[in-house]
Amino acid sequence: MHAVATSDEMIDRSGRLRTPWVPVMDAFRGIGQDEMARRAAALNRQVRLAAPFGAVAGHRYDPLPAPLTASEFNVLEAGLQQRALMLNATLEDIYGRQRVLHEGLIPPAMVFGKPHFLRSLHTGAPLTTPRLSIYAADIIRGADGRFHVLRDHTGIIPGFGHALTLRRLAASTVPELFRAGGLRSLRPSREMLVDHLQRESQGGLIAVLSAGVSSQAQAQDMMDDALLARALGVLLVEPGDLAARGGALHVKTLSGLLHVATLIRGLSGIELDPLEQGGRVGAGIPGAFGAVRAGVLNMLNVPGSALLEDAEFLSYFEPLFERFLDEAPLLPTAFGDPLLTASKAPFVSGGSLVSTPLFFRLYAWHDGKGWQVLPGGIAFGMDAQGSPAGMKDVWVLDADEPQFFAGAAAHEAPERVAFLPAAHLPSRVADNLFWLGRSVERLESAARLLMLALPRLESGTSLPRDVAERALIAHCLAQARLLPADLASGSISGRFLRQTLARRKPMTGLMKEVARLVHASSERLSPNMLSTVQFALNQATDALAPNEETALPAILGFAATFAGIAAENMSRDGGWLFLEMGRRLERGETLSESLAILLDSPPERMEPGLALGIELADSVLSYDLRHAGILSPGPVLAMLLADPGNPRSLGFQCTALRWSLERLGADDDAEAARLLQHEATALAGRTADLTTPLTAIAARLRLLSDRVQRRFFTLLPEAHQLEDEEEVVATAK
Amino acid sequence: MIYRLRHATTYEYAEPVVLGTHFMHLLPRERPGQFIREAQLDISPAPDNRRNEVDHFGNFTTTVSLTNPHKQFVVELSATVDVVQPAPPKADLTPRFEQIADAAIRRADVAEFCLASPLASPTAEIAAYGMESFPEAQPILTGLLELNRRIYTDMKYKSGVTNTGTIAAQVLKTKAGVCQDYAHLMIACLRGLRLPARYVSGYLRTLPLAGEVKRRGADQSHAWVSAWIGDAGGWVDFDPTNNLLVYDEHVTLAWGRDFQDVSPLRGIILGGGRHSLRVNVDLDPVLT
Repeated sequence: MHAVATSDEMIDRSGRLRTPWVPVMDAFRGIGQDEMARRAAALNRQVRLAAPFGAVAGHRYDPLPAPLTASEFNVLEAGLQQRALMLNATLEDIYGRQRVLHEGLIPPAMVFGKPHFLRSLHTGAPLTTPRLSIYAADIIRGADGRFHVLRDHTGIIPGFGHALTLRRLAASTVPELFRAGGLRSLRPSREMLVDHLQRESQGGLIAVLSAGVSSQAQAQDMMDDALLARALGVLLVEPGDLAARGGALHVKTLSGLLHVATLIRGLSGIELDPLEQGGRVGAGIPGAFGAVRAGVLNMLNVPGSALLEDAEFLSYFEPLFERFLDEAPLLPTAFGDPLLTASKAPFVSGGSLVSTPLFFRLYAWHDGKGWQVLPGGIAFGMDAQGSPAGMKDVWVLDADEPQFFAGAAAHEAPERVAFLPAAHLPSRVADNLFWLGRSVERLESAARLLMLALPRLESGTSLPRDVAERALIAHCLAQARLLPADLASGSISGRFLRQTLARRKPMTGLMKEVARLVHASSERLSPNMLSTVQFALNQATDALAPNEETALPAILGFAATFAGIAAENMSRDGGWLFLEMGRRLERGETLSESLAILLDSPPERMEPGLALGIELADSVLSYDLRHAGILSPGPVLAMLLADPGNPRSLGFQCTALRWSLERLGADDDAEAARLLQHEATALAGRTADLTTPLTAIAARLRLLSDRVQRRFFTLLPEAHQLEDEEEVVATAK
Repeated sequence: MIYRLRHATTYEYAEPVVLGTHFMHLLPRERPGQFIREAQLDISPAPDNRRNEVDHFGNFTTTVSLTNPHKQFVVELSATVDVVQPAPPKADLTPRFEQIADAAIRRADVAEFCLASPLASPTAEIAAYGMESFPEAQPILTGLLELNRRIYTDMKYKSGVTNTGTIAAQVLKTKAGVCQDYAHLMIACLRGLRLPARYVSGYLRTLPLAGEVKRRGADQSHAWVSAWIGDAGGWVDFDPTNNLLVYDEHVTLAWGRDFQDVSPLRGIILGGGRHSLRVNVDLDPVLT
């Protein structure tokens, strides 16, 4: 190994700052090193907030850009366009007539031995769309100052979501950098790409196909998938959301099965179609390959295109430029160790700058006529192993623009994201939000019940009133499944109940379920909302670890934060409606079930139950204000069952349910909710025999919940493989 | 020889299937020595979407989608096929097997059959077993006939001990199985010698000629091996299950690297519960 004089992105050979770095370094000096370190930390927080819940930010995001001059970009643009044409021609040929194999330009055994050569996509005639539609290349600036291609991305295009997002986030954390003029905007490109995708899709849906949050191994990709879907204003789907029907792909949404015309593929083509490739049914989309071949599904990129990413192909490309384009390659391929030859650029590290070898990743797509190159991209610092480390935004600076101008910053305006109607909400997402609403409410009511129960269990005397109260509480705890049912009756000591609770840790289980559902619903929660919810969730979880009893206030705090955020930060679209219905159904059921227990006594002995009831419903203060603390069945029942202004009354839950169901066009279910609300109001006039009607209301709310689930979420039943057992079965003769 | 072929597959489900997608290799292809006079695939209930395509290997595939609930699914192939494989050259005049190996890997249409595939990968043991039939400079066809005979002799024909996912290495260990396993073992042996071999799925005539024993694998889907013996001889088929050089008793359906490439019927269904499968194959000469 011998030392090679590498070039530097920032400093030219004579030691001067290169022109595009002048405004960057001016801004850097203006900000100061310590402040820059804080900004870098802020940027990294921003990106994490923009990521879906649970996604791993595998990169360190660097606030300093990697600027390129317009003439440098012109060279790269022409080189990428040419290379994309060559790569697509090669793919079309390998998956078509295979002339390059017959002519010996590529060894046939090399192609046929690669797992990414997907025989299912080898077709007699070309597909209706190019095999390669989105392309990215990793490029270094070599010691000779020229750009060299390090590797090609022709299958899944990594980092595209980051490339379209990073600048917006950097602009909000380091606005000083963006005072430089001449920075070419990404927006026209992005809008042209979206327009092109929409034209191609002809009214069908466009979606980013992701492995899903459940697969932790791909959490980093999942983050990019989510950023990309958001940047383009398209759906984010998982294989389980899709089904082939009548030969085309459909996504199950609230308005039924909708045709998916275009999938931007974030999943490997290997094992993508269990129908043709075998493999686990749930991990892929049976029938996807047939839909691609028939031209009713456009996949960007077509499965099998990752074949050319294999490094073994790099040394065979040069003659292919000649073969297909009759041209010599504009960008040479980088051979040898990129760590030794790549140019270096400064990265913010703590309070100082560290110069690290880097590569640029530039993006291009085919718009139906030709290849468009994004005037930007991302650049990666390389660690000692050559793996990507820090990530930067790539700038293209137009030289003839003034270097500085006063006034508004030239950074990206807020994204224009296409409106996603609630009707397109995938059923899986609605399902998760519905259960999230239910589980947060379940957590809250359990915490409220325990807050009420614990002091009474411990300090219980043998006075008849205390005994009666303890029995009611034990019964409620069992009903809420916080205690086993066999402890509900009889005269078990309060101390024993409390020990049982400490041993069973019911709150920990409920909390886990809430965390799981927050995680699963993260794509529908805004970054700010997510971070706030996550913070409160972490606090409550931390508090639970040592002792469930002392954690109850933190849990109620979490529930209040969640409710506040949902009320103030979520638009009342499809997603919110499901969260709301989940919460109202759970609260309505819990309330009617607990009241059925608490009010199960003759009027003269109803007082302990009434007192517990208003306390459970968090209505003590309002009741005292209205009725001067005098407990009597009439006013208590009016407040808990009928009061349309009390957000914890049964009537209120029914009204809210009715409103949500009407918004979703479920008129018959809305009518059921209206009838329930009437009954709740009518019950408030009674003073005895409340248990049976309340139990009936709880049962009907459960029925309504089942109907909502069947109506909106019944995902396609789980698919399974019909094995070809013929060989085995038939030979049994 | 002209044959009338009928192959019916019937699935009965305990519960209705609400959505079924099936991918089939069930229409016979043409090849030198095999001419399809007519062939049709009847599917019941009538699918609401049906695609006929040609796959990577040149086989016919049919993809159907059924969206109406059904408790029975029937696929019936009926065809009239004219078969006479050209007689192979004299064995001892065929090229040395080493020459075949060197030429095959460079040929775009042959190379992939020299490579390992999921069910027919050579191991050191498999290569050693195959090597016994291929001493240095062995003429390719002599070696192939010898290997075909050895596998027929060494294997025990037994159903129920293997399944559609059994790999060649396992077959060599247990030396028992059905036609699919015989074929995978022979293919893996040849690939262990860098020789090209492919898996052929098809049918064997139901009733033997007068004076012949009833063949194994008649009355059902059958499988055998095709090996490339050079430009002059082309592809020649061997049936290790019956120790036959394929001539006019076999009708070819499709070929691939191994069973997975040509599985006659694959499906993904929603619903259905438990199911039962009935298969009926008849391959009878047409009296002319």
